[in-house]
Amino acid sequence: MEIHDGDGLRTTVFFKGCPLKCIWCHNPESISFERQFAFFKEKCCGCGGCEKFSKEETQLIVQCCPTEAKTFFGEEYDVRQLADLLAVDKPFFENGGGVTLSGGECLAQSDFAVALAKELKENGIGVYIDTCGFVKREVFDRIIPYADKFLYDIKAIDSDAHKTYTGQDNDIILSNLEYLLNRGCDVEIRYPLVMGYNSSECEKIGSFLSDKGFKGKIKVLRYHNFSVSRYEALGMECALPDTITQDSDVDNAVNILKSYNLNAIK
Amino acid sequence: MDRKCLEEYVLNRIGDNLDTIFFNDCKTIEYLFENCDIVMSDSDRFFAKVNCDGIMRSLIEKRTAFIKNKIKDEGLQEGQNVLAFTGLFDYSHTNAGWDDIVTLGIVGIRDRVKEYFFKEENIEKRDFYAAVLGVYDSAIEFMKRVALTAEKMGKIEMANGIYNLCVKAPETLFEGMQTIEIYYVLQQMFDGTVLRTLGRLDALLAPFYFKNKEIAHQLFISFFEELATFKAVANMPFAIGGTNENGESAFNELSEVILKAYKKSASADIKMHILYRDDMPVEILREAFDSVRKGANSIVFMSDKKVTDALINLGAEKIDAIKYHVVGCYECGAEEELTCSCNARVNLPKALEIALNCGRDMLTGALIGIENDGKFDTFEKLYEEFLRQVEYFCNSAIRITDIYEEQYDKIHCAPIMSATYRSAMEKGGDLYCNYTAKYNNSSLNAVGLATVVDSLIAIKELIYNQKKMTLGEFTQILKNNWEDNEALRLTCKNRFEKYGALSENADNIAKNIVDKLYLFVSGRPNKKGGVYRLGLFSIDWRWYFGRATAASADGRKNRETLSQNTSASFGADKFGATVHLMSAAKLDAVKTPNGHIVDIDLHSSAVEGENGLNALIATLKTYFDMGGFSVHYNVLDTEVLKKAKENPQDYPNLQVRLCGWNVLFNSLTAKEKDEFIERSIK
Repeated sequence: MEIHDGDGLRTTVFFKGCPLKCIWCHNPESISFERQFAFFKEKCCGCGGCEKFSKEETQLIVQCCPTEAKTFFGEEYDVRQLADLLAVDKPFFENGGGVTLSGGECLAQSDFAVALAKELKENGIGVYIDTCGFVKREVFDRIIPYADKFLYDIKAIDSDAHKTYTGQDNDIILSNLEYLLNRGCDVEIRYPLVMGYNSSECEKIGSFLSDKGFKGKIKVLRYHNFSVSRYEALGMECALPDTITQDSDVDNAVNILKSYNLNAIK
Repeated sequence: MDRKCLEEYVLNRIGDNLDTIFFNDCKTIEYLFENCDIVMSDSDRFFAKVNCDGIMRSLIEKRTAFIKNKIKDEGLQEGQNVLAFTGLFDYSHTNAGWDDIVTLGIVGIRDRVKEYFFKEENIEKRDFYAAVLGVYDSAIEFMKRVALTAEKMGKIEMANGIYNLCVKAPETLFEGMQTIEIYYVLQQMFDGTVLRTLGRLDALLAPFYFKNKEIAHQLFISFFEELATFKAVANMPFAIGGTNENGESAFNELSEVILKAYKKSASADIKMHILYRDDMPVEILREAFDSVRKGANSIVFMSDKKVTDALINLGAEKIDAIKYHVVGCYECGAEEELTCSCNARVNLPKALEIALNCGRDMLTGALIGIENDGKFDTFEKLYEEFLRQVEYFCNSAIRITDIYEEQYDKIHCAPIMSATYRSAMEKGGDLYCNYTAKYNNSSLNAVGLATVVDSLIAIKELIYNQKKMTLGEFTQILKNNWEDNEALRLTCKNRFEKYGALSENADNIAKNIVDKLYLFVSGRPNKKGGVYRLGLFSIDWRWYFGRATAASADGRKNRETLSQNTSASFGADKFGATVHLMSAAKLDAVKTPNGHIVDIDLHSSAVEGENGLNALIATLKTYFDMGGFSVHYNVLDTEVLKKAKENPQDYPNLQVRLCGWNVLFNSLTAKEKDEFIERSIK
């Protein structure tokens, strides 16, 4: 349960796997679609309990670890199971809140995401979709009936910049955004601000959204590097930017966006 | 007269004849009124303090020596020594008849005693009224003495107010507040009975507020600032909201004024109980939570409905239940109830400790429970044995409490307080010596619920499901404080289901333990014509009780702290606040009028912004909808706490919620500070 991915108290489901490869990704565990073994060195009590297993016997290793230093990222659920688990928090949602499907990219597992959203909606639980937008149009068509709101990432307007920072072109992303707006969907834009990287995109984002007559909120997200230990645990190379976004940077970006008559917040 | 002389005089007056403490003490109190020194500082605006606070209470220690021998004779001392179970009298958690005090004034309370005296024919009762009257007459003379001092110091507003109050009831907001503070001084410092609430200030002072609206905000700030200078132990509480006698919301315009002034005064020593109703103004909730997340105040939220239901369930009349008071931290008593919320206590993890160890304390080897052979071939049999020991602990704690409570007339009396209780006046006797309150209940609190639930779950999994070792072997590991078994300890700590963390098994055990405690305790007659009430709070006792408790199966080491109140063990609430609250809501709070409280620790980043505020409100509303009793929030910022530990001088005002009250972070020991820092990392 937390408050940062949407309105009110929300339970967030992090889907594993993402079509983008953002260089500042702070959820390294949600890039790969596979379940991953991870080792958090600082949590290890050195009991040696796992030494009797071969490296490949990760299931047994994780099972015997007293401190969860050795653990898995990623758990499989079927729709029913997960919907039931999420319904546990239902009483709290009645005073404002719901479930946010996030990731990774939740819509990259579109069948599951649509079925889960449908199940939740039928149970009276509101659903937000947190998406990078790099998804086929027809997936949006399928999820729209069950989505109360889209939390939609815009990382850059300049196509080359987008490619450099995320590994993908942004044509699809921008046109999907336009599509959602034309369909009258409730959209909140998320702009992860990474100084020295996409910070120069701020003006362009402002101008782009204002041209589209965008009336929703634009939330400027601070970049942090709290995920370094997770990169290590996963054995992934960590090339995170070291330019931590400061409060004043966020304020500046918000002001720039506001100058385009946009409803920017931090 | 200086304090030493006063003390000597009072102690010499006790004499050997304990049968007459009431009349003896009335005279002593009169003496204190006449001879104490008045302590008035430049900043005092409403009233002064005196140099005799605590003298009447110091008599009690002397008077109870003979009772301690009785406990030894009954073989209950060993269990009490190792904090398996304890019992005690309680004169420290009282409410006064605030409605009458504020409506009639001090002088009106005196006049009412006089009326009773004149119409009474029974000689003994006449003696009682006469003695109380003597005390009140001295009190009024004392008030005049304070007024004179105030005049000399140029405090004309204070002096005029007091002179008025010596002859009539309060008429202005200032005099209303003055009456409350004067009464507090009279009861707390002369009667010696600890007063643990100032009542529902919004209802009490509303009639005056409407006459003096424009100065109210500023006046309340001064009032709170002055009350804070009393440095009351575990904070001085007051309440707002709740339900009036017509069953309607008692929140009024003044509630918000009080909250804003309270917020502004930012005192660690004044505590506010918000008596929550569904239909209460949302603006008040927003203000309150904003205050909570800024960490500047001490606010407890109580579910008005649940408290009322719990008191009715215990036997209070509905009208008395509605007009309940909250004393101390979160203990509720009905109107006209002499609330004793801290009598008997039982240590739940200790009951499991001795169930495993043949009835013997693991740390001392002493036999403190029922002997057994330590062999249980199913979990159910072990659980049954645990409950048998819990029941024995409850019986023992209640017995010790009874031994004390049948002797109140030799321990303590409360002439000043008794005059404010209509039932005591009607019956013509002292609240303590003659049990003249309408409700004379006693209490038992069970300590360490989550610790024992998590321990039971660990044993069930390890011994009975996984069959990793025998129960005997595991017991030996606990007795050796996990020595050479660190990996096993960490497994128990981290890898099993926990109370407060989405475990139906754990929640069911917790609920069952509470249901059983209710059967063992609630409604059992005490020695005062009342009954025992069940509570589940453990405040700072969890540290003392923990220090006397051996390693437990949840991965706790010897002498580490026990879990707090009805909250999950520290670190066990890894699915967050909502899941934690849901576990607590499963415990039937109607069964726990003496208190049932969840402590929610949140990192400051989790409650920032408008959405953070809305989320806090949503958790509270939902928890109370689900049947919660009371809850308090600790908003902690890891970085701030770490810095405050390193550089205490830079954070003189940083507060944390210790248990039922707030303390300055700087006043904690290094180990306690570390616990808070640990808790703040989410």
